[in-house]
Amino acid sequence: MLRVELTELRKRFGSVQALDGAGLEIAAGEVHALLGENGAGKTTLVRALYGVVRPDSGSIRIDGELVQLRGPRDALELGVGLVHQHFMLVPELSVAENLALGERGGLLLGPRALRSHAAGILERYDLGFRPDLRVGELSVAQKQRLEIARALSRGVEILVLDEPTAVLVPSEIDSLLELLSRLREQGCSVLFISHKLDEITAVCDRVTVLRNGRNVATREVPGIELRELGELMVGSELPPPGQPPRTQVGPVVLRARGLTTPPLVGVDLELRAGEVFAIAGIDGNGQTPLEEVLAGVRVLESGSLELVQPPLALISGDRQRTGLVLGLGLDENLVLEEAARGGAPPEYRFGLVRPRELRRSASAAIERLGIRAAPDDPVRTLSGGNQQKICVARALRRDPCALIAVNPTRGLDVRATAQVRDELRAQAERGAGLLLISTDLDEVLELANRIAVLFRGQLYPVAPAEHTRERIGELMLGGAAA
Amino acid sequence: MRRAELVAPVAAILAALALSALLLLLLGANPVDALGALVKGAFGDRLALENTLVRMAPLLLIGAGISIAFRCGVWNIGGEGQLYAGALVATWVATRLLPGAEAVLLVPLVLLAGAAAGALWGGIAAGLRVGRGVSEVLSTILLNFIAVLGVAWAVHGPLQELSGAYPQSDTFPAAARLPMLPGSLRVHAGVLLAMVLPVAIWILLFRSAAGLRLRAVGLSPEASRYAGIYPLRETVRVLLISGGLAGLAGAVEVSGVTGRLFENLSPGYGFTGIAVALLARLHPLGVLPAALLFAALASGSGAMQRIAGVPAVTVQVIEAFVIFFSVGFALPRRNG
Ligand SMILES: Nc1ncnc2c1ncn2[C@@H]1O[C@H](COP(=O)(O)OP(=O)(O)OP(=O)(O)O)[C@@H](O)[C@H]1O
Ligand SMILES: [Mg+2]
Repeated sequence: MLRVELTELRKRFGSVQALDGAGLEIAAGEVHALLGENGAGKTTLVRALYGVVRPDSGSIRIDGELVQLRGPRDALELGVGLVHQHFMLVPELSVAENLALGERGGLLLGPRALRSHAAGILERYDLGFRPDLRVGELSVAQKQRLEIARALSRGVEILVLDEPTAVLVPSEIDSLLELLSRLREQGCSVLFISHKLDEITAVCDRVTVLRNGRNVATREVPGIELRELGELMVGSELPPPGQPPRTQVGPVVLRARGLTTPPLVGVDLELRAGEVFAIAGIDGNGQTPLEEVLAGVRVLESGSLELVQPPLALISGDRQRTGLVLGLGLDENLVLEEAARGGAPPEYRFGLVRPRELRRSASAAIERLGIRAAPDDPVRTLSGGNQQKICVARALRRDPCALIAVNPTRGLDVRATAQVRDELRAQAERGAGLLLISTDLDEVLELANRIAVLFRGQLYPVAPAEHTRERIGELMLGGAAA
Repeated sequence: MRRAELVAPVAAILAALALSALLLLLLGANPVDALGALVKGAFGDRLALENTLVRMAPLLLIGAGISIAFRCGVWNIGGEGQLYAGALVATWVATRLLPGAEAVLLVPLVLLAGAAAGALWGGIAAGLRVGRGVSEVLSTILLNFIAVLGVAWAVHGPLQELSGAYPQSDTFPAAARLPMLPGSLRVHAGVLLAMVLPVAIWILLFRSAAGLRLRAVGLSPEASRYAGIYPLRETVRVLLISGGLAGLAGAVEVSGVTGRLFENLSPGYGFTGIAVALLARLHPLGVLPAALLFAALASGSGAMQRIAGVPAVTVQVIEAFVIFFSVGFALPRRNG
């Protein structure tokens, strides 16, 4: 039986035809994957199914009924739930308040009822945190489980997950995939968006591939080859995985001594010109504080940070909160860092913008990284992967001597991932020191000359002989601390 | 301003008009006649037009200043106080410090003094924010009272006219008065200045690197900090600028219109300026038509009372409708 049938959906945003006749069918008890390049229209398609985007034309059937969705409430009523690509929880509110939000009459609950309502859900979905915890204090994986639990608690039987694994580490991904299989056994249908092909082959029954807002193919997953999937998606052959750069290591460009700010304790590190130094680890072991210290927005309890060789550039790990100003255009986001400290980007003369120059360099960045957008599009309207590319483009603009990249390929499709990794490698080959802070082991192994693992605020160097998935995976779980 | 952005302000004005017509009906007046009288009173003859333009000047200056402040996420509610501070210091310069100076020197000095005083008044709020973390909403509101009372004290004390007859300052020497613009309309040069400055503010906000910083901070303080901007520094800057513009409005008022300082100098320009900025969707160029509208409402109210027999205070209700709907329809989504 078909639970969801999307046919010939079209949606235009200004000059962008986000959906151009896309469609999809999900059977009962099926885990269906949706694959496509950045900007292919995946998010738009699922937002149409969730009633947030109203398609210009095309039809949506749920359980055989033709439906007009006026908003998420309609979708939820029909059993469709969506966990967004960028979380929709309110960080200032507690877990319990977030669970009550959007629930009919949820805001009228008294504090006691609020707690017990939340406690029930947390219990049922086996989430081990307290209902009065502020959501801002949860780790990424916890937030995501909370979002899924919130959807399921509303009786969702068709669960849509938009790039849920982009922010997770391997062990968390495994347990998410397990959850999906469990849901399938219970008769739920799942629509699963991911750029990671191995995840799709691990749990999905069928996969639909989208390109430029159109369907390219729908295939049974068992028996399909990874390479074939990738090629369906990008329409050409996939580049082979790369190797760490082989360059002469130069002088120190960035030096940190005894960095201490909770949870970091006495972190020492030296970054040298021409090398890629990777800090692997599971999110929540001090990655964010370390990024904040390196970005200069966090005060240290003790220790020192010395930028021996400016300029420094940062690819922030949270593109929507700290990486980009979503309300500004792509062009202005690109030059923001240089305009920041009274410095003048080359697109400005006497402090005033030269519009033609600004447009030209924005177009150049668009070209270079294959960003699907116009130069002055507000960044808010771009797809997640395209936003990520802007963060990368901005950091590469100034030929930094020290480059800090926090999960630089998060949310990028396979081709863009390969391309960004090439760009990063090229930076090291040019003589920049690259500090890669990443939760993605493949990325670490593909780029790093030197690796350390961040665990509970401490840095554990990994000997070159131990540069293997297994050993690093162990260390990430505390293998060296024990 | 993109075309789509015009929809909300126009809708706000139309809604306010509709509700005003209803109100006029309830008052027993013919809305068409009454509003016609209002328009006539604002634009009908030379005198009416002059009156409207002169009232527009302070609204333009304050509205442009508020726009840039709000764009930076700085809620400066202190336009009124900054205007009074500017008027006070401008009067001191004109009547006490340099009453004998030449016009070429004195007029610019009076205006600069007013702007500087307004900037200082905004700067106090900035200092409190930086030093003590006091919200500028609170401090600017409170500073309004201090400035208004300060002017009251001054015209009863140190700046009172030498004859001591009334609580007001001496009249400005002719050399301290803003000259009239050439042409048949008798309006002071401050009107032209007030029409030019919003354009300058627009360039600052949308064409300069400094303006990019201001807007970035207003849209996302977090991402701005990561990019290397110091949000507090921008807060200080923008309070100085918008305070300076309001102070300049005060100087223009005493030097161009009244020729002396007294209590109740401003009919609430500092507050109407906020409405102007909101109706303009915080766009410095949108401030031009928005200020014209509010000035016309104020200057047409007398004629409406005379011709259509509707109490002049009705206009305040109409103004309130416009403000209400501009906030409802026209407030730009801060992050959109
Ligand atoms: N609200 C919007 N306004 C304007 N353009 C939009 C809007 N939403 C999406 N788009 C455009 O539609 C296209 C498809 O975007 P969508 O977010 O669906 O891509 P996606 O397949 O989810 O990509 P990603 O893998 O990067 O998340 C993009 O080019 C994007 O810029
Ligand atoms: Mg997406």
